[in-house]
Amino acid sequence: MEKINSSKEKEQPNKLINENNLSYYINESKKLIKKKSMKDVKLAFLSNFTINGLAETMKVLCFEQRIYAETYAVPYNQYAQEILNKSSKLYDFNSDIIFILLDSEQLLDSMYKMDEKQREKYTKEKFDELRGLINILKENTNAKIVFNTLLVPLYSSRGIIENKQKFGLKKSIHRFNEMFESLSIDDSQLFIFDFNSFCSKMGYENLVDRKMYYLGDMRISPMALVNIGIEYMAYIFPLTSSTKKCVILDLDNTLWGGILGEEGTENIKLGPEKDGKPFLDFQKRLLELFERGIILAINSKNNYNDVIEVMKKHKYMLLKENNFACIKINWKDKVTNTREIAKELNIGLDSLVFLDDDKTNRELIKKFIPEVMVVDLPEDPSLYPKVIEDLKVFNTFTITGEDLNRGKMYVSQKKRGELKLKVKDLESFLKQLGIKVNISSAKKSNISRIAQLTQKTNQFNLTTRRYQDADIKKFSESKEYIVKCIDVEDKFGDYGITGIAIVKKNKEDWLVDSFLLSCRILGKEIEKVFLGFIIEEAKKEGIKKLIGEFISTKKNSLAKDFYKSNKFELGKKTNEKEIWNFDLKNKYDYPKFFIITKDI
Amino acid sequence: MKTLKELVSNILGIDKEEINDNSSPDNINSWDSFNTLMLVSEIEKNFNVKFNMDEVMSIKNINDIKKLLGKHGVTKGIND
Repeated sequence: MEKINSSKEKEQPNKLINENNLSYYINESKKLIKKKSMKDVKLAFLSNFTINGLAETMKVLCFEQRIYAETYAVPYNQYAQEILNKSSKLYDFNSDIIFILLDSEQLLDSMYKMDEKQREKYTKEKFDELRGLINILKENTNAKIVFNTLLVPLYSSRGIIENKQKFGLKKSIHRFNEMFESLSIDDSQLFIFDFNSFCSKMGYENLVDRKMYYLGDMRISPMALVNIGIEYMAYIFPLTSSTKKCVILDLDNTLWGGILGEEGTENIKLGPEKDGKPFLDFQKRLLELFERGIILAINSKNNYNDVIEVMKKHKYMLLKENNFACIKINWKDKVTNTREIAKELNIGLDSLVFLDDDKTNRELIKKFIPEVMVVDLPEDPSLYPKVIEDLKVFNTFTITGEDLNRGKMYVSQKKRGELKLKVKDLESFLKQLGIKVNISSAKKSNISRIAQLTQKTNQFNLTTRRYQDADIKKFSESKEYIVKCIDVEDKFGDYGITGIAIVKKNKEDWLVDSFLLSCRILGKEIEKVFLGFIIEEAKKEGIKKLIGEFISTKKNSLAKDFYKSNKFELGKKTNEKEIWNFDLKNKYDYPKFFIITKDI
Repeated sequence: MKTLKELVSNILGIDKEEINDNSSPDNINSWDSFNTLMLVSEIEKNFNVKFNMDEVMSIKNINDIKKLLGKHGVTKGIND
């Protein structure tokens, strides 16, 4: 049974929402000392008004997420100069992401006195001007660019008939924003931050302090700048490959109100009315996450059969057994269960989010598994749905078919595991799975996924070279490289694109630049099949030697013996990497019971 | 609630002991125009008051801030 949280102390719903002042962040940012295990990121800010303190805020917010940020804020209102000058500090800084915050009033200063025709023309001109700047920025940097939409003015002298004009003041800005949004649709580098949506969330009157505006050109008050930083964190998670993959959930007083063991299926709080509704909405939010590919798991002290009964019989229990890739309902401690969940799902502890109403359990996880992100659920369940809405940690820059299906794929994985228990040896297990491996070249439809795999795969990754979409595109167009990927399917489901190889073709030998497989398909000897394919291709072109590299990281020990066990010979070995050679005169054996198709 | 000295020491990054009525941008290096505004913003939140623009512009030293807070009826936390 769950212990009900009796703590009366005021808690913050989670780390990414808080009430700290700007000065807190400015002071804290001076104390940060980089830890070895931290990821690095570089952030730049361009703006036409005062944003002092935003960079410091983000440094601290990043640090709380084990990310060390270096920042560069372009001097006040010099964004255009810095973009145009190819040897500017901005380019020298070599940022991973550039945030552009422009104030519409300053940018479109003379618009208020125009008639509709002039305004339409002027909007178009200003848009072209900014688009030109963004294009120059894109040519000179690989950084992601985040452009804030312009604030739609709240005041119009026309008052209640403002929106009867074809090209009113407000509509002009809307049009401008729409044009920018369409520019970003097929652009993997440009992202649009919906500043107007942010303003409605915060309330514009809370965002602006008019005397600060006039005295210090602060278009956003110091208090509100902190909140912008919090919103911007949504970009930092995918940028640093820190996006979370799985939510671990408690049951009593988390997925429903009350204690199941005491109150029974009929009496738990869960339903369309009053105090049952927050739990229903909370489950809706979680189901939405599942549908966009987030893995769900249960970690609860309860009676297994009671819980299954709720899932089967309770009318408003939205989350069913087959939404969970891993279910730990037992009387073991939550730390052990959490570790087991990560192990069974074969994902890193740092990709887990832990949701539990019990403060003691949360503190236990924080203490013993600090890699796990622990969300402090508020005491009031009516705030539960908002907790999910405010989590920025599931953001990605692209969404692939594989992403959308991940939650379901892990549920299929659970069924595969059950089969494995029934079958005696690995080979007959693999045969029964009926694995199909399809090998294809990089092309428009899969480039994002290939780049994503290089960024996210840590364990079975021989060189851990991270590439962006643009890099993969370049390789695939070059005659000196081949880029191949595999998609894998078995009788329980489709894994999608889960392995890639990038090979550099030299005259006499081929060098495997990258070779990686997603953890989901490991343990099936698929990596041997994929390597076999590369060896055959090299033989076909009369190449003498295939060279593999192994670059050791904290996370890839799993791949350490890959070349050795596949009869490669160790060549050079330095602290940095090992070089392995395969003489292509030799025969290479790999499992033949796979169905291999080539969709090249 | 914090005291005025705590707020000032926090924002300007100086010891509380260094702060007196005559402390001003002229004799404290870290006190720039941005910090004045940040001070105002956090003093307003802390003491639950709102200054107008002229009042903010009239701030030349700590004593001015005290006078303003007094004018807005704040009695606690000003002098310690």
